[in-house]
Amino acid sequence: MASLTSIPFTLPPSSLSQKQLFLHSFLPRKLAHSTKRGFKVRCAAVGNGLFTQTKPEVRRILPENNQGLPRVKIVYVVLEAQYQASLSAAVRALNADRRHASFEVVGYLVEELRDVETYESFCEDLKDANIFIGSLIFVEELALKVKDAVEKERDRMDAVLVFPSMPEVMRLNKLGSFSMSQLGQSKSPFFQLFKRRKQSAGFAESMLKLVRTLPKVLKYLPSDKAQDARLYILSLQFWLGGSPENLQNFVKMIAGSYVPELKGTKMEYEDPVLFLDSGIWHPLAPCMYDDVKEYLNWYGTRKDANEKLKSPNAPIIGLILQRSHIVTGDDSHYVAVIMELESRGAKVIPIFSGGLDFSGPTQRYLVDPVTGKPFVHAAVSLTGFALVGGPARQDHPRAIEALRKLDVPYIVALPLVFQTTEEWLISSLGLHPVQVALQVALPELDGGMEPIVFSGRDARTGKSHALHKRVEQLCTRAIRWADLKRKSKEEKKVAITVFSFPPDKGNVGTAAYLNVFASIFSVLQGLKKDGYDVEGLPDTPEALIEDVIHDKEAKFSSPNLNVAYKMSVREYQNLTPYASALEESWGKPPGNLNSDGEHLLVYGKQYGNVFIGVQPTFGYEGDPMRLLFSKSASPHHGFAAYYSFVEKIFQADAVLHFGTHGSLEFMPGKQVGMSDVCYPDSLIGNIPNIYYYAANNPSEATIAKRRSYANTISYLTPPAENAGLYKGLKQLSELISSYQSLKDTGRGPQIVSSIISTAKQCNLDKDVSLPEEGEELSVTERDLVVGKVYSKIMEIESRLLPCGLHIIGEPPSALEAVATLVNIAALDRPDEGISSLPGILAETVGRNIEDVYRGSDKGVLADVQLLREITEASRGSITAFVDRTTNKKGQVVDVAEKLSSILGFGLMEPWVQYLSKTKFIRADREKLRTLFEFLGECLKLVVADNELGSLKQALEGSYVEPGPGGDPIRNPKVLPTGKNIHALDPQSIPTAAAMESAKVVVERLLERQKLDNGGRFPETVALVLWGTDNIKTYGESLAQVLWMIGVRPVSDTFGRVNRVEPVSLEELGRPRIDVVVNCSGVFRDLFINQMNLLDRAVKMVAELDEPIDQNYVKKHAVEQAAELGVTVREAATRVFSNASGSYSSNVNLAVENSSWNDEKQLQDMYLSRKSFAFDCDAPGAGMTEKRKVFEMALSTADATFQNLDSSEISLTDVSHYFDSDPTNLVQGLRKDGRKPAAYVADTTTANAQVRTLAETVRLDARTKLLNPKWYEGMMKCGYEGVREIEKRLTNTVGWSATSGQVDNWVYEEANTTFIKDEEMLKRLMETNPNSFRKLVQTFLEASGRGYWDTSEENLERLRELYSEVEDKIEGIER
Amino acid sequence: MATTSIQYLYKPLLHHHHHSFTTPDTSLQFFKHLTTTTTITTNSTTLKLFSSLSSSPTTTTSLTPSTNTSPFDTLAEHLAAANFRQADEETRRLLIELAGEAAQKRGYVFFSEVQFISAADLRAIDRLWRRHSGDRFGYSVQRRIWERKARRDFTGFFIRVGWMKKLDTEMEQYNYRAFPDEFIWELADNTPEGHLPLTNALRGTQLLANIFTHPAFEEEMEEEEGEEKEEVERKGEVKPKERPKFIKSFKQDYSF
Repeated sequence: MASLTSIPFTLPPSSLSQKQLFLHSFLPRKLAHSTKRGFKVRCAAVGNGLFTQTKPEVRRILPENNQGLPRVKIVYVVLEAQYQASLSAAVRALNADRRHASFEVVGYLVEELRDVETYESFCEDLKDANIFIGSLIFVEELALKVKDAVEKERDRMDAVLVFPSMPEVMRLNKLGSFSMSQLGQSKSPFFQLFKRRKQSAGFAESMLKLVRTLPKVLKYLPSDKAQDARLYILSLQFWLGGSPENLQNFVKMIAGSYVPELKGTKMEYEDPVLFLDSGIWHPLAPCMYDDVKEYLNWYGTRKDANEKLKSPNAPIIGLILQRSHIVTGDDSHYVAVIMELESRGAKVIPIFSGGLDFSGPTQRYLVDPVTGKPFVHAAVSLTGFALVGGPARQDHPRAIEALRKLDVPYIVALPLVFQTTEEWLISSLGLHPVQVALQVALPELDGGMEPIVFSGRDARTGKSHALHKRVEQLCTRAIRWADLKRKSKEEKKVAITVFSFPPDKGNVGTAAYLNVFASIFSVLQGLKKDGYDVEGLPDTPEALIEDVIHDKEAKFSSPNLNVAYKMSVREYQNLTPYASALEESWGKPPGNLNSDGEHLLVYGKQYGNVFIGVQPTFGYEGDPMRLLFSKSASPHHGFAAYYSFVEKIFQADAVLHFGTHGSLEFMPGKQVGMSDVCYPDSLIGNIPNIYYYAANNPSEATIAKRRSYANTISYLTPPAENAGLYKGLKQLSELISSYQSLKDTGRGPQIVSSIISTAKQCNLDKDVSLPEEGEELSVTERDLVVGKVYSKIMEIESRLLPCGLHIIGEPPSALEAVATLVNIAALDRPDEGISSLPGILAETVGRNIEDVYRGSDKGVLADVQLLREITEASRGSITAFVDRTTNKKGQVVDVAEKLSSILGFGLMEPWVQYLSKTKFIRADREKLRTLFEFLGECLKLVVADNELGSLKQALEGSYVEPGPGGDPIRNPKVLPTGKNIHALDPQSIPTAAAMESAKVVVERLLERQKLDNGGRFPETVALVLWGTDNIKTYGESLAQVLWMIGVRPVSDTFGRVNRVEPVSLEELGRPRIDVVVNCSGVFRDLFINQMNLLDRAVKMVAELDEPIDQNYVKKHAVEQAAELGVTVREAATRVFSNASGSYSSNVNLAVENSSWNDEKQLQDMYLSRKSFAFDCDAPGAGMTEKRKVFEMALSTADATFQNLDSSEISLTDVSHYFDSDPTNLVQGLRKDGRKPAAYVADTTTANAQVRTLAETVRLDARTKLLNPKWYEGMMKCGYEGVREIEKRLTNTVGWSATSGQVDNWVYEEANTTFIKDEEMLKRLMETNPNSFRKLVQTFLEASGRGYWDTSEENLERLRELYSEVEDKIEGIER
Repeated sequence: MATTSIQYLYKPLLHHHHHSFTTPDTSLQFFKHLTTTTTITTNSTTLKLFSSLSSSPTTTTSLTPSTNTSPFDTLAEHLAAANFRQADEETRRLLIELAGEAAQKRGYVFFSEVQFISAADLRAIDRLWRRHSGDRFGYSVQRRIWERKARRDFTGFFIRVGWMKKLDTEMEQYNYRAFPDEFIWELADNTPEGHLPLTNALRGTQLLANIFTHPAFEEEMEEEEGEEKEEVERKGEVKPKERPKFIKSFKQDYSF
């Protein structure tokens, strides 16, 4: 596979690592060591650049001997290649018969029609075709192509038959007088049948129902029509019956009835042979069963089965199959799975259904009707489709309901549909993106796991065949999952895996928002209580840390973590079949990572049947040349040894990856649809993978699900609180309130003067334009200054941030949940008829809340004041409500009951009681009631605790319910946590609502830029698309790009977005703004179809016939085309990302490891890793390097732009925001050398803001790093907390490096807070000396790189501290 | 209990042993069910190896219900004439036939039916292949490669016997060879050892695994150690003293 080794690959954002460097040296180390391998990315696509290179000619059958027989030509288009073999056989048999007619047949697979030439030949073939057949045409672009082509010939053709497909194609149906052209419009009962069912799940299901209700339907039709309709329905039966015999009769029937030359010949045909709609099928069984007892009886009598398979204790796997594969005889891949499972001693119950709704069959055949218990220990779907609805309309709630009843692990494996085996193997993307959308993303919404590609497709026959190693992987994994259902708790072995980023003792147990050891401790106690063997578990979390990392505080010499196992090289090689493949990058084992020179070392500690291990890291984090050119894209020997130990020596029944996030799933390999040589697949081997993952990170959780087969279990991010005010900011707030009460007493000017000087001390002068001290101000001017400062203070004060770290199994107390509820209450939810609390309150004083927001933003003092009152009243009334549902221990008790008593008649609700004491006494009581009922529901969810419960379920081999990941404030359905996280249907975004929000943000951004840019629109905006952002906001930032270039998305009948159309310049009212879109690696993995859509949009806009001063996309593309000597279309390349299988620009790693020389080096890194474009004209080529166009496009950027999507992840919380920031880079590329403006949109609150990057960095520093509320909260978490503080400072340096937008005072204040304060300093050093050392080092680095200008005294102190802590860590007594 | 299981397993073996020689006429039924036969034989240039097991050439009509000829005569004729392509087809056809009536109806052998094929029959087939290839073709040859060189890993085995081809990608990857064009139908110097007869991976590897672990070839292993034993083995008799081995290998079939 081209991609695997050729593509540079590295850590995901925030998976940091470091090796200690010498203090003042920022020179990269080990330069000599890295061999300069060429940076070459091979393109997987050949030929037409599309995903599939197959041609319809292999499917063409020409009659050999004409003998004067009438000739009938059939053209078909299908999604299901399984029809190819069956139909070919049928036609060959007819031709061999030489009786009535000779047949020419040619078939097209839907996907092939993307190719221009193939499409032409399709149109050509239709010109003399007699009969057209289509089936399962559900991809809109292609459906429209089919429609256009067939429509032209429809009247001339003798018959057109379309089976379940998009309505556009269905309307083409015609058989004599029978036509479906009125589908969807006609009121005739026949079409009503369609219509009604369209709303429920499964279009195909309704077709089936139609077949069953045939006689009833025919009654409504006149007799001649009835005959034609009858033949249509017979056709459907023949088609669904699929066998060559059925298809032969089908062709005879249609040709004989509708081809004029044959009308007199009386072609005899037999009735369709009907198979069961659904049932149980086994290749050895004499028949299909529709009763599970009968099937099991037969199973018991099998002579070929051995004792193991007959044992009552054998694992039983339910298989879910597509009927069409069975009836057409294209069942080899199914047989392979059955053989593999049975040979491994697992019984199978293979069920099938003709429709696309499997919720009924799973109930009927896999669950014991008497006991309600499942007959199976695990269920594996081999269809690839969602359980209900297949490719058309899914019904996930119904699927979840059925799977909950089934209550076993549910795996959805996939056959290759759109690609041949070889095309999949050589593709770096792996699975075709359309198939990913249909067969990976959608099953995830049902809670499906493990998208393993188990069968390939033969290019010539279209038949499916087993991929023997993949089948093995699938089957062993399924059995291992089933074992979890069968084994007792006492005997189950669990390997808990923690992470360490950067690889440093200060960082063992890293995970976003999680107090890892405290959580592990709590989980282990829970498991112990439940009957698991965790013998020897210490009594406290601290002792647990001690055991694993030996000496966390490193007061004494202890360079190593606890070694759990020493693996000899020989043993390692025996246990690790792919070990030799790692040698290219890492040399012979054991190497020098996780090794003592002779053995490979596994770090960790075992308690009874539980092993806590430390996952090794990528291993090249500190090596700048590898970061830049990392061809060394493979795990190192130590990494492989860890997983070999877990699987084969410790023999874990399950591995539990603990917290967000590790590096296993980011190991190189295909994006989706792993092959035998993809590392995540090889590493995880046969171990069931359970993964605790932060609920707010659905995008990376999805990567873990797809690439390392994780059953994710979400955990709550710590409850967010308001940032509050401190020090000078608090003083300011007090001054402002005294101004308000005293401003008319003549003390006004004096107070304003104090406000101004305090504001300057607090460095607010960059955010608010402050007059000189002593300057005479009018009353209005004074009010305005105070208003602006006040507004800034309010902004800081009300900022939401998580304080502290979450502990699994400890839900927030009711009061901790208040801030979350306040924010949930701040959003209007028109779909649910819920008004926002600020909105309701503003109304009572005759104001519209949007106006209040706007006034407050401008600094209108009265509005700032009103907004503050509204905010306080919101908090107050919600606190009053929560108080009433809480017991003395602070726990929420039965909200439902409380609510009904609260809402009872004649009583005054607590919130009304509270509000009656404020100016909002006349608030609308009905609206409040509706809102608080909703808040009550949310409260219940916030404090619910399913995190441990779900883990237990997963370990017991039960089904873990799926749930969306994202922001609980926008989408309370994220709660309660403890769900198997999923993203969303990628084709559903952007939604209409997201488009509306995007327009607002884009207009605000353009306004803001015009202000700073002499009233001119920016010609180009460079922006970033994030996976999680787009999931949480349903595609807002995606929609922003569309709105900038002036296009809008168009959804198809099923609400899927696969098309865009231009908005007219009149409607847009401004020029089309050019864009440079930088997609994160995760976005690329999850939303490749949307990248395709964007690229089409950009190209479409570039080719519009418009004046170039109104269309900057066109303007630039034309210039670039001339310069590069390419077409305008090709020059209009604006959608970039990493190469396939590679993530991030590595700038974050370089910064985190201090392993970079100068900013130029970082920029080179960015360019070399991020200049891969997606081309909608050659989608099969995957990501192709187009650095020249990338640089040219960036050089036109007037502004850079990013979105902040949620309050808990801000600019300095993670390293990926600065990692993707091109601000300084653009400056270097621009011809005029001007620095572009840098903006950040903040849509985390109801009042969306566009701020400059510098403003946002300051806001972030004030609310996090410098805020006592925040850092004290972190300090409470001890060891992990110190690391969090250090991380913020390192990320701040990252912003200096990529954008230069960090003020000096930020570093100065940080130094004052953490270093100058002796008390604080001592606490930091004691709690986590390793992280403290990094903190000190980062301060020195900030100064050394010229980002922080400070006194020599400060620096001297830092140097002293560094050697002090160094000695301490090394154990040198002073 | 060990003894009962031996009996249970052993009986059908004997039964089918007999059956395989006496009812060859069922093959006619077999053809009726081969839905893909025509697809493959009429229009094949780059057909994958997978399409082959359920198919059969239209030329193998030699197996008539007539009397005294050995069912392996056709195979022997093809091999003697170095018609490896036909010999290969015939071998698969024989395998299906030997596996019993159900396999013939179905058109392919289910892995668990391999136990019903007698060691003598399998060895007879193997012997013919080896005899006409200078010991370079045949199941036992393949088995040895699989067992000793590929350490029971089928990908390694397929690569060694030339059933998979390397793709032109940077990461070492292999795809299955297309049937029949990409196979070598002659005994040339560059023909990999064990290249024929072909058992495809269309339905995974369990069928082949069960052929390789069949008692027929367990004994062959023994044979290599003592050459003089070979003559005895070739008479195709299952000796009582070999039974324990049979049990051993049978267990191996099912427990990986």
